[in-house]
This record gives sequence, C-alpha cells and structure tokens, in this order.
Amino acid sequence: MTGADRVRRWFLGVWSAFALAFLFLPVFIIILFSFNDNQGRFNFTWQGFTLAHWKDPFQNPDLARALSTSLEVALIATGISVLLGTLLAIALVRYRFRGRGAADFFVFLPMATPEVVLGASLLALFLVLNVNTGFKTIVIAHAAFCVSYVVVTVKARLEGMDPHIEEAARDLGAGTWATFFRVTLPMIAPGVVAAAVLAAALSIDDYVVTSFNAGQTQTFPLFIFGATRQGVPPEVNVLATMLLLTVLILMGVNVLAQKVAARRASAREEDAAPPDVGDVAEATPVVGAAGR
Amino acid sequence: MRQRSAAWLFAGPGLLWLLIFFAIPLVNQASVSLMSGDPEAGYTLTWAFSTYTDAISAYKPQFLRSFGYAGAATLIDLIIAFPLAYFIVFKAGRWRAFMLLLVVLPFFTSQVLRTVSWQLILSDSGFVVDRLKDIGLVASDGRVLATRTAVIAGIAYNFLPFMVLPLYVSLDKLDPRLVEAATDLYCSRVAAFRKVTLPLAIPGIFAGSLLCFIPACGDFINAALLGTSRQYMIGNVVQSKYLNVLDYPSAAALSFILMTLILVGIAIYGRLLGTKNLTEVAA
Amino acid sequence: MTERGRLESALERALTDDALSRRRVLGRGATLGLMVAGLAGCGIEGSASQTLASLQDEASSTRHPKAPIGDWTFSNWPLYIDKSVLKTFDKRYGGHVKYIEEINDNSQFFGKVRQQLAEGVPIGRDIVVLTDYMAAKWVRSGYVTPFDARNLPNKKHLVPNLRSVPYDPKRQFTLPWQSGAVGLGYDIRQTGGELKSFDVLFDPKYKGKISMLAEQYDSAGTVLLQQGKNPTKASVDDQLQAIEKLDKANQAGQFRRFTGNDYTTDLTKGNVAIALAYSGDLVQLQSDNKNLRFSYPDEGAMLFTDNMMLPAKVQHPYAAETMMNFVYEPKIAATICAYVNYISPVDGVRAILEKTNPDIASNELIFPPDEVRKKLYNYPNFSTAQEQTLNQAMAKVTGA
Repeated sequence: MTGADRVRRWFLGVWSAFALAFLFLPVFIIILFSFNDNQGRFNFTWQGFTLAHWKDPFQNPDLARALSTSLEVALIATGISVLLGTLLAIALVRYRFRGRGAADFFVFLPMATPEVVLGASLLALFLVLNVNTGFKTIVIAHAAFCVSYVVVTVKARLEGMDPHIEEAARDLGAGTWATFFRVTLPMIAPGVVAAAVLAAALSIDDYVVTSFNAGQTQTFPLFIFGATRQGVPPEVNVLATMLLLTVLILMGVNVLAQKVAARRASAREEDAAPPDVGDVAEATPVVGAAGR
Repeated sequence: MRQRSAAWLFAGPGLLWLLIFFAIPLVNQASVSLMSGDPEAGYTLTWAFSTYTDAISAYKPQFLRSFGYAGAATLIDLIIAFPLAYFIVFKAGRWRAFMLLLVVLPFFTSQVLRTVSWQLILSDSGFVVDRLKDIGLVASDGRVLATRTAVIAGIAYNFLPFMVLPLYVSLDKLDPRLVEAATDLYCSRVAAFRKVTLPLAIPGIFAGSLLCFIPACGDFINAALLGTSRQYMIGNVVQSKYLNVLDYPSAAALSFILMTLILVGIAIYGRLLGTKNLTEVAA
Repeated sequence: MTERGRLESALERALTDDALSRRRVLGRGATLGLMVAGLAGCGIEGSASQTLASLQDEASSTRHPKAPIGDWTFSNWPLYIDKSVLKTFDKRYGGHVKYIEEINDNSQFFGKVRQQLAEGVPIGRDIVVLTDYMAAKWVRSGYVTPFDARNLPNKKHLVPNLRSVPYDPKRQFTLPWQSGAVGLGYDIRQTGGELKSFDVLFDPKYKGKISMLAEQYDSAGTVLLQQGKNPTKASVDDQLQAIEKLDKANQAGQFRRFTGNDYTTDLTKGNVAIALAYSGDLVQLQSDNKNLRFSYPDEGAMLFTDNMMLPAKVQHPYAAETMMNFVYEPKIAATICAYVNYISPVDGVRAILEKTNPDIASNELIFPPDEVRKKLYNYPNFSTAQEQTLNQAMAKVTGA
C-alpha cells in the first residue's frame, strides 16, 4: 500500500469510527441508565449504580409481551415487505410494462405521506371492512409502509447492474424462475438483505401508524410512549440493551462461523483442481460463501 | 407476451398490497380533503378546493421549513454516510455485515429513548454543550436544544441508516479492479473517483437521498421534542389538525400538498442525477 | 350501508380476481372508480351530540343488573395502578379483568376509537380513563353509558370538590380516577426563592427560561387565574384572550417551548427555570433533582382529573361498575394512591396512609391542604365547535 493509500484508509477508518460513535452515543446513555439507581420514577439523572433492574427485567409482563409482539410483527412484516418489494423492484427495473412510470412514482407515496394520515386512513379502511384491529392489522400496516423502502433499496442495487448476464442465462435456456433464483437473486442479495434490515428497523420502531391500528395489542414503542407520562421504567432500558446485545452476539457468532468456514474451504481448494474455476467465479458476481 | 405476464407476476403482489392498504385509504383521504363540516355535525363532500389554497397560504413557513430542514439533514447524512459506506464496502472485509448491522442497531432501541437521551446529552449546562462553548461552536449564553440546529441534527441522526444502506448496496457493485485499471491508465485517484466510483454510486446516492428526504419532510417528532414553536414543521401541523383540532379536511389537504411537492421534487432530482438510463456497468 | 355494501363487493371482486390478465388490469381502473365513488359518498359522521338533559333522563332509569363477572376489559394509562389491586378484585369478585395500558394520549386514543363510537358500535372496552376535557367531549357527544347508581354505593367517598363538574353535574357518567394540579414547577436555585404567583410566567427576569403546556385548557386556564378570573366559568372569549396573551409573550421570546409531558427533562436538567407542571410529576422528579419545587400559587391552580367512564354500548357494565365501586373503598384507594402518587379523589385515604406511608401522607403535592383545595379549579365546559376554535387558536401559538 502506498503512503497515500494508507492516509486514505486511516481517514476512512477514523471517519467511520466517529460516525458510528455518533450513532451510538444515545445508545450508550440508554445502556448506562439501565444501571441507574433511580429513586423516583423518572430516569434522567445518575443517582448511583445498581444491578436491581437487571435482576428481574421481565417482572412487568406487559412490557415483556409488548417487546415480543414487536419482534414478531417485525419478523412477519419484514418477510412480507421484502418479498413484495423485491419482486416489485425487479419488475420496475428489468421489465417494461404499461404503467411502469406511474408505478415508479406511486411507490414513493407511502414514504411521503405523514404518518398520522397513513395510520388513520388505514384504520378507516379496516373499520369499513369490519376487520378487528390487532396483531394482524399491525402487520398489514407495517408491511404496507415498508414495501416502499424495500423497493427503493433493491432498485439501488439493480440499477446499473449488467442485464446481459440475465439475458445470457435466458439464452442458455433458463426459464423466468430459474433466471430469478440462480442469477438475479444472488446478484441483488446484498440489496435484499439491506432492505430487510431497514424494514425490520422501521417496523420495530414505529409508533404513529401502529397506535391507530393496534387495537388493544401493545407493542414496545406504544408501551414506551405511554410510559413517558409517568416516567419510563429502567426495565425498558434493560430490555432494549438485551435486545441489542442479543443481535450483536448473534452477528458476531455469524462472522466467526464464516471465518471458520472460509478457512476450511480454502484448505479444501488448495487440494482441489487448478484455479480456472476462479476466473469464471470472478466474471459472474455470484455471492460466494464467505464475505462477499 | 411472456415478458409482460412475467412483469405482472413480479409487480402484481406488491402493487396489489399497496393498492388495497394504501391507495384506497388515500383515495378516501382525497375525498375527505374536499369535505367541509365540523366534528359535531359531521363532514360531507362539498368539493371545497378552497381548503387547499387556504392550507398553502396559511402554512407556507412550515412547508418551507420542512423542505429546508429535510434537505439540510439529507445533505449532512450524505456527507457522513458516504465515507462510512465506502469503508464498509472496501475496507471492512469479513466484518461488513456486522458493521452494517451496527449502523441500524440503534433503531432497535425506541425512538423515545433515543431522543430523550439526546435531550440529556445536549442539556444546556451539560458536558457536551460546555465543551462546544469552550471551542466556540456555541455562544457562551447559547444553547443547542430548542434550536433549529437541534432539530436538523435530530432528523439527520434518525435517517442516517437510510443513507448508509443504499450507498453500501450500490458501492458494493463496484469492482475495485476498475479503479485499478483507471489508475493504470494514468488517471489520478481523484479523477478515478470522479469518473468511475461516483457514477456507479449515483443510484445509491439517489436512493439514499430519497429514503432520507421524503420521510424527513413529514417528520414531527424531532421538532416537537428538540425544537420550539419557531421550528415546527408541516408534520406537526398535520398531527395537530388531525388529533387536536379534529380538522380532518385540512389535515388531508396538507398531506396531499406535501405529497405533490415531494413527487415534483423527486422528478426534478431524478432528472438532475440522470438515473433514468443507468444500465450498463463498464463490464 | 348500501355504500359500504358496494364497497365490500367491489373489493371482494378485486381481491379474488386473477391479477395477471390485462383485462383485469384495465378492469382494476373501473373497480377503483367504483370504490372512489363509494368512498366519496362516505362522509365522516358527526358526534351526534345529545343534550345533557336527555342524557340525564336516560341516566335515572339505567339498570345494570348483577351478572356473573367473566372476562372484561379495563383500559387505562400506563403505570396508573398498583397491579395487586387487580388481583384482589379478581379474587373477591371472580372473573378476570383484562387490564390494558393502551391510553397514552387523550387525542390519540380518541382518534383510535372515534369511528366506532360515531357508528354506535361497541369499542371492546368496558372502562376507559380519560382526562376531563376528553371526558366532557364524550359525555356531550353521547359516547358514554350512564351508571347504575345502585352499583356504586362507595361513590359517597368522593371528595367534596369533585362531586360536581360542569359537564357532569351529578357524576352520572364519569367517576374520577386520579387528579393532579397544574402548578409551578421550578428550580429553586435558579429562581433564588419560592414562587407564589403565576405572575412569574410573564416576568422578563425569566425570559426564555420558562416552558408552558401545549394543552390550552391548562395554559389558558392558568393565564386566566393570573388575571384574577375564574377559569371554570370562562367564556370562549375569555379563553381566546388568554391564548392571545400567550401568543404575544411567546413571540417576545418569553417561553422556551410548549410541551406535553416532556417538560420533565428540561426542568430536571435546568434548561428551564420554571415550568407549568403537573403535581404528580414533581413528586417523582424531586429525587432526580433535589432543587426542584412545586408551588400551588396564591391565585389557585387548574385541577385536572382523569375519569373512569363506561363507553357507549358497553358490554360488561356490571363488572365495570363493581370495579369502580371497589377502587373507591378507602383502603384500596390508599393502595393506588401510594403507588401512583397523584391526588386521590377518595376521602379518608390520607388517614389510612398516615399509618402505612407517612411520608406520602404528609406530601402536600399528593394531599394539598384545605385552603389550597378550595382554590383548585376544574376545566371549563365548552361545546365541541367552541373547543375546536380554541384548539386551533392554541395550535397557531405553538407553531402547528
């Protein structure tokens, strides 16, 4: 690496560190205050260290249920919106059909609509259709507003990707679905994963739309918003921290598992056939086992 | 024929979902926006287009503010996110997915908790603000909270992951050998960036900007918690009209005006960036 | 309802048809047009106001006969009850109360159930707890079911100053749950001494260091008190001029912000010296910041009360009324008060707490002295249209 490269890499690293620090600053406060020995019901000033809140964070069954409901909703809504949105994105980029231009713009509308109107108008629809509001309607609502984000994210991946590869696959006899599953999907996988992560985040954190369509079901944000009046209990901080740690640990384990798998794979390759396999693998940007 | 039916197979489910759960409610809202009445007697459709003109004239400051704040926040996010996304794509190696997850992880705590944390961090006589006063970024009798700066920073903070992810997704397509090839051909690093990296990142920049700007325009929570009445955005107005004043026609009209303006903005932005026909990678 | 029928069948058709063929795609446009027509015809129903007199007539003949208590639903604000009270109730009376802490904002909750109420459909909750002005709106609009007084013998324990309110003079539709006062919360280190009057809200000494409440009943009522008027008897014009005064002061930079419940961080951290605050909050905040004080000013203070109500078309009225009666037993009310730390509407609670929780019993924020109680004012009662005017005026002041 040249000196300029080193400077560049150093700069990028420092910038990224600061950016992540910026993102996590309030999170550190949240984690910190889960250990706060607050005497009153509010949790604003540091009053001493305690592990009391960590001893039994699930003591409030409603809070625990709210959190698990949020996670379930996020899982299902992400699944639905990623499925619908990815297919829609492919259609908008790869296919020409009547109304494509309009559909292109239409997809932006849910993002542009103020949440109050989004939530309230959807509730009106449910009432007209005599659908009881609850878990299912929350999922429907979340999937509805997540689809747009998925479409935009996947499109960012698709736009600028060489369509000739898919054409080539089709020329070689692959049908629509074969092309989709074995060529298109692996190429856009990073986009799909990123979209899924975004959708999950949106769903877990949503308040306004959910508050209209939740009926008597509680989600995590609903509980917290309600609790602000009396003071958010530190158990909320504890649960939020636990959620973060769980996700981080799972991810870390995943990375290490990949490292192990890669090491094993490279050991195997060294004993296997000569590297002309490698050229083909480079030409088709198919997602490999490790990393990319 | 096959092409077209495949298209509908792919586009159908998503469009149908949006049609039922978004378009129809939206159409209903459109008719509400043209109604008049009051909460006691009820509202009926009177084709009152004046609601729209009244709304525009009465809330011009809030509209301008919304677009201004959202635009500023989006720009800030782009500046912060681009090097971060670049680092994740090219320098993070095996830890890419992990770092991407880190970017989104704050969302898994609640927005209320995060914003309250910012209120605590940025309190007038707190550590952070005192240091900012020391280095002169904040006036000695000034504050950070309850200002325009706080609101924009809050919006930027909330939407940063929405910029990072699309940037990552499009930068990830870039084959670093292309940059190598460019420099081999006596291109300077900067020019290589400008001619190779940047054009390929354009879809990501476009997508990220939209994912930040569009929802930011309708945001209300940051202005409500981090700002004063002088920073209230159109989202606050719609919220208030719908929940407090119970003026449903105005709320609906304001939403449609906002949506229309945003769509126009997208069209112009898209034209400027020229994303319409970006299909070929220099393969 | 025919419009709804048209809408439903159109939707059914659109949903079950094959979305692939081009004919259906074009037909979708026609279906959409039909739905537009159907929806456009749907106006928004009004709140079908009944006069108080007719409601009161209904009330005198309401009967909710004793019925076995099974599953029933109690909706309340979060952290507003000691859950052991619910267990005790279930054990004593049988059945199972589904207690849902879903009310986190009066307007948000109303927005959620408004349409069902307007259509006269049960909302699936047997008790809801809403603040005065929202309770008044529900009573005025006929969204409540009157009590059967025979099931509420403990109502006699209701404190005298809450026995009658303008919107429910005989307490036939609402029963207080907890009260709080809207007074001055302040940082004594910043103010340099105790505050005794709402004049400080307009004192230039504190310019920019004051936060006001965005709810016009609280803020405008306080202004009226500061002007020496009786806020409970205020007319719309009185209220409007109070809002006007707030607007002028705000334009001049007197107030830092208008807040909902979130003035608490500003006050605790010293960002504001004075906040128009709720008494119950200050009880809790004092452990975060020992310099915080609460004052009932000499002019008096607005009293807000959260009220239990039976929604219209309630499905388990006997169970609900039994619970309401239960929480008015002084012992039970004391348990709730010890947990919630707001002003209990039940007489005799202080005597019980003097033995078990003396620090709570002696806390003036939870048990205001009698001279103060005399100067606690209920919200005025306005019509829905008047309220809309006032809310709109206040929204302009707060920037929305």
